[in-house]
Amino acid sequence: MLAKLPRNAARRIATRACVSSHRSFVQPSGADRASVVDVPSTYQDEAHFTPRADMLGFKLETSLREGSFKEKIRPIYLDMQATTPVDPRVLDAMLPYLTDQYGNPHSRTHAYGWEAEQAVEDSRKHVANLIGADAKDVVFTSGATETNNMAIKGVARFHKEKKRHIITTQTEHKCVLDSCRKLGEEGFDITYLPVQKNGVISLQELEAAIRPSTSLVSIMAVNNETGVIQPLKEIGAICRKHRGVYFHTDAAQAVGKIPLDVNEMNIDLMSISGHKLYGPKGIGAAYVRRRPRVRLEPILSGGGQERGLRSGTLATALVVGLGEAARIAQKEMLTYSVELSGSAGRDHIRIKQLSDRLIDSINSQVEHVVRNGDVNGYPGCVNLSFSYVEGESLLMALKDIALSSGSACTSASLEPSYVLRALGAAEDMAHSSLRFGIGRFTTEAEIDFVVQHIIKTVHTLREMSPLWEMVQEGIDINSIDWSQH
Amino acid sequence: MAAPTPSRQAILSLYHNMLRTSQSFSSYNFREYFIRRTKDTFRTIQAESDPNRVGMLYSDAVKEFTVLRRSAIVNQLYGGWKLAIETEKKPEEFKTRGDN
Repeated sequence: MLAKLPRNAARRIATRACVSSHRSFVQPSGADRASVVDVPSTYQDEAHFTPRADMLGFKLETSLREGSFKEKIRPIYLDMQATTPVDPRVLDAMLPYLTDQYGNPHSRTHAYGWEAEQAVEDSRKHVANLIGADAKDVVFTSGATETNNMAIKGVARFHKEKKRHIITTQTEHKCVLDSCRKLGEEGFDITYLPVQKNGVISLQELEAAIRPSTSLVSIMAVNNETGVIQPLKEIGAICRKHRGVYFHTDAAQAVGKIPLDVNEMNIDLMSISGHKLYGPKGIGAAYVRRRPRVRLEPILSGGGQERGLRSGTLATALVVGLGEAARIAQKEMLTYSVELSGSAGRDHIRIKQLSDRLIDSINSQVEHVVRNGDVNGYPGCVNLSFSYVEGESLLMALKDIALSSGSACTSASLEPSYVLRALGAAEDMAHSSLRFGIGRFTTEAEIDFVVQHIIKTVHTLREMSPLWEMVQEGIDINSIDWSQH
Repeated sequence: MAAPTPSRQAILSLYHNMLRTSQSFSSYNFREYFIRRTKDTFRTIQAESDPNRVGMLYSDAVKEFTVLRRSAIVNQLYGGWKLAIETEKKPEEFKTRGDN
């Protein structure tokens, strides 16, 4: 590069001489002239390297991670519905299977396979214990999305000769709604149940929607945007009353957080996700009841692993991670503690305390805040709408806090959340919502920090807003007839 | 299986070690969680009067300690960025996007 430079420079000087004859005072110089600068004598290109005595002739790549510790400050994480951090204890259980114990759990001929299979079966037991199921009923998949697809499409397609009707709700996760839409294209009849104002479905409406041709009812346990808990036990009882109606629940947000029992709740199929209960991403599980047997058509064809429902080699390390996460979650649910007395588990009590602290302190200092969804929902998911403030602007202003206005899958679009719309929220309220996800590792100090920032930012944004000014003057916003262009 | 009842000395020493290890996590959230959890676990042991239960809780804690020690090392290797909450700042120093 250096060798080429003088030649270039010589040519440029020649061009300049030719151009300068036409130049007047105000004529801007061309872009080509801007770069005619000789490199300084001290210039060192990126290939330049001075070895130091202690390097022994090796070139060292300086790691960017270590260098950036000081300057990079990470925001506070309050988006536990999107994903949760991997518990260090879970990672510790996984590491042996990422290093020395690399066997294929389906290998039956050597010790590598046996030890991996043993680990997988132990994990299956832990997951089954958490939901009160039998270990043989648990099938490992790649996540809740795959499980939802497998359950909904599988059951519907298996029974398509006689039954062509599926019931779901309007507030389901995207992957359930999209699976149903796909089945609708295939000629199935889909009923999308509306929800009440608090986000809970009406049992009478569910009962009325069931037809003789209904094969599946799919209703999520805990909503990912509002934290609303559906009455699973009652829904299960209704489904059991009608012959041949299977009950599937998407429990990705519920497993390990609220007590679930598949037998007590008459659940036939359940979706579980690893990364929502402090496990790794890329792993999930399906509960598929064997007695009475739920038959479904598998999506993947192959080696017939996992009862033929989900062919493909299991990711041992991820499965172990999910199993350990399930074990810890169950242990935390059962642990009583002296300071936090109560019948619920240690995690749950703590999350409830933090969530009450958040809601109370925001409510005491900001007015016109509405909580979306049932107040008796899962406390770790608090969805608040700040009137006259746009949710996205609030997020942009809160640099030090990682929050979301709704589900992560739809966070790229500026559309208002369809879940909040289904709850009957007005468009402006759906636009001004923020979702606070509180988890096992959240601290009181973080909640106080977040509250302080939210309050400050909401006040700043409202001061800027003309709508807020009108509200302060006592004008009813809804009475204004905005001109249509 | 009745675990032998550990001595007061053994429990205290384990408590000390676990608290130390918990404090060595470099990630704020994990550190705070394990400190809180360790304290809680040992308060439970302290309040327990049945020697068999104490033995069981103690042996659980010993198992957890080995896991915790390894986890702390891994966390020291891969964690370490400061959270916004750990950097001491006065309220007026906080900047929002748009403040220059």
